[in-house]
Amino acid sequence: MSRQHITDDNFLDTTSSKNVRGYPVVADERLDILAWLSPLEPQMRHREIRARRVDQVGNWLFQTEEYRNWFGSIRGGESDGAALFCYGGPGVGKTYLR
Amino acid sequence: MDTLCKQAVEENAAVACFYFSFAAKEDQSPAVVLGSVLKQVVNGLEEVPERIVRAFRDREKVIDGQRLMLSEITEILKDISSSRCTFIFIDALDECPSEHLENLLDLLNHILQSSPGTRLFTTGRPHILSEVEEHLGGRLATRSITPIKDDVMTFIRAMLQEDTMPDAMDESLEEEIMRNIPEAITET
Repeated sequence: MSRQHITDDNFLDTTSSKNVRGYPVVADERLDILAWLSPLEPQMRHREIRARRVDQVGNWLFQTEEYRNWFGSIRGGESDGAALFCYGGPGVGKTYLR
Repeated sequence: MDTLCKQAVEENAAVACFYFSFAAKEDQSPAVVLGSVLKQVVNGLEEVPERIVRAFRDREKVIDGQRLMLSEITEILKDISSSRCTFIFIDALDECPSEHLENLLDLLNHILQSSPGTRLFTTGRPHILSEVEEHLGGRLATRSITPIKDDVMTFIRAMLQEDTMPDAMDESLEEEIMRNIPEAITET
């Protein structure tokens, strides 16, 4: 498996899946296609949130049984427990969970 | 979200996010939400799936064919995520326009059902809990998020350090803040 890196501009730079048949396109067309698929850039909002987030706050979530089961189930490939809904009142910090 | 990204990379998975907002001026219909998710997933692929390239090249030949239809977006997402782990992160689901929420949840459920390697992480206020439960059914786990005292203390300390008027602060005021705010918050 090749190593991958999270960059600022792409959430993930990854190698492609073998099973989805790709189609060779030149780089310019690739960018046009991506812009055509969606003009939105959630990375902007993500960066804004990251800049305002305080280290360590919210880390407890990753230790909870709910999170671990949800994430852990990916290896089993079951679709039970595939969705996790974290709910709370306004201002409790849901958006800033890291 | 960043932690999730790191963990997802270890799993060779794709990650996509969407932040709902009441303040958003643009449309937040399921086609926009899932279109954005699809773009992020495709961005992580080395090659653009053939189906998308064809639709893109044909877009001007089709009436109203400017963008992919919602049904096509869903199908393509299903295709990609069935062969590759995909994490979808949706923030503030309660800010999804109410006329779209049900449809969006059903489509997400449909994607999760046909692609066992897909994981959905969502946040929102408690009033939509029953609706989310109803549409995602047995697939759903829920977790209540409440502020914990340590987090509140860490947060306040960080804010105090960024104080733009440090002269207005003295030790007793700082002590009072550190004592009273965490108490008030964790009581609710």
